[in-house]
Amino acid sequence: MVGIVPWGVVAGVAMVGAGLTKGQAVAMSLLVFAGSAQLAVLPLLIAKAPLWVMYATALAVNLRYVIYSAVLAPHFEHLSRPWRALLSYIMVDGVFALFVGRYRPDEARDHKHWFFLGGSLVMWTGWQLASMVGIFAGSLIPQSWSLEFAATLALIAVLVPLLHDRAIVCAALAAGGVALAASKWPLNLGLLAAIAVGVVVGLVVARTVPLKGRSG
Amino acid sequence: MDAWTGWALIVGAALVSFFSRAVFVLPGGHMRLPATAERALRYAPAAALMAIVVPDLATAHGALSISIENPRLVAGLVAFALATVTRNILATIAGGMATLLLVRALVA
Repeated sequence: MVGIVPWGVVAGVAMVGAGLTKGQAVAMSLLVFAGSAQLAVLPLLIAKAPLWVMYATALAVNLRYVIYSAVLAPHFEHLSRPWRALLSYIMVDGVFALFVGRYRPDEARDHKHWFFLGGSLVMWTGWQLASMVGIFAGSLIPQSWSLEFAATLALIAVLVPLLHDRAIVCAALAAGGVALAASKWPLNLGLLAAIAVGVVVGLVVARTVPLKGRSG
Repeated sequence: MDAWTGWALIVGAALVSFFSRAVFVLPGGHMRLPATAERALRYAPAAALMAIVVPDLATAHGALSISIENPRLVAGLVAFALATVTRNILATIAGGMATLLLVRALVA
């Protein structure tokens, strides 16, 4: 929760810095509500990458939500469709981790979606307020401070906790290497190639090197 | 950038973000994610973030720059170390920015 405030401010500053109007930045914060995907597409917007490359990049960063969605689906299957849509929209990493640590899918507890909604609303409110501060107060900060670099630092801060086993580390290192080697490719296609290579390397490493705590 | 591109990005990214989150929750509990797909999906976010971060740190003025005199590279490495040790977003951003300004002042 504490981390979401600097992260939101940085995203707010970065959206305006990438050339979005303040209105567009507010709309992006409300509609997309996915900090790492927002920060990931902004350098591509500056580099004038094609829209589909930006969409593909946002999708790649968001694929972790597909896993969360699969894990959460049995918890929420008894709810109405508007409820399931609302809980989908508001899903974030921190609340997912808390929720999964607390409830089992087969556990019938009437209030567990309220726990999820409450935690998510706290995150949502903190994120939106912090983004607004970045959007509307960011221009007061002098250019020479290079605040746009804070966006890269924020991505590092969310990347590091993802690196929790050897296969993921190898996937990330391979992707970083390919991205660097292919940084001159047209249309920022090097980024997509890097992600694809990273996923393949991760799968291969996981298959050849038995992971800790897993048999075979 | 024209306004149309900005709105197209916002609407597209909003749809992508919503459907990534809703893909299993919205239809109900009937569908399950195949184990192979789940394994592949674990690697994409870390790969994507690293693929964005590394070129931003290791290039300067469009050319490869692996040097202690590249402020972004040094600051990025400090940020990696801080994120690993503290797991704190504010410490990572503040330490990285301080390093950037310090190295830039020293190199100049």
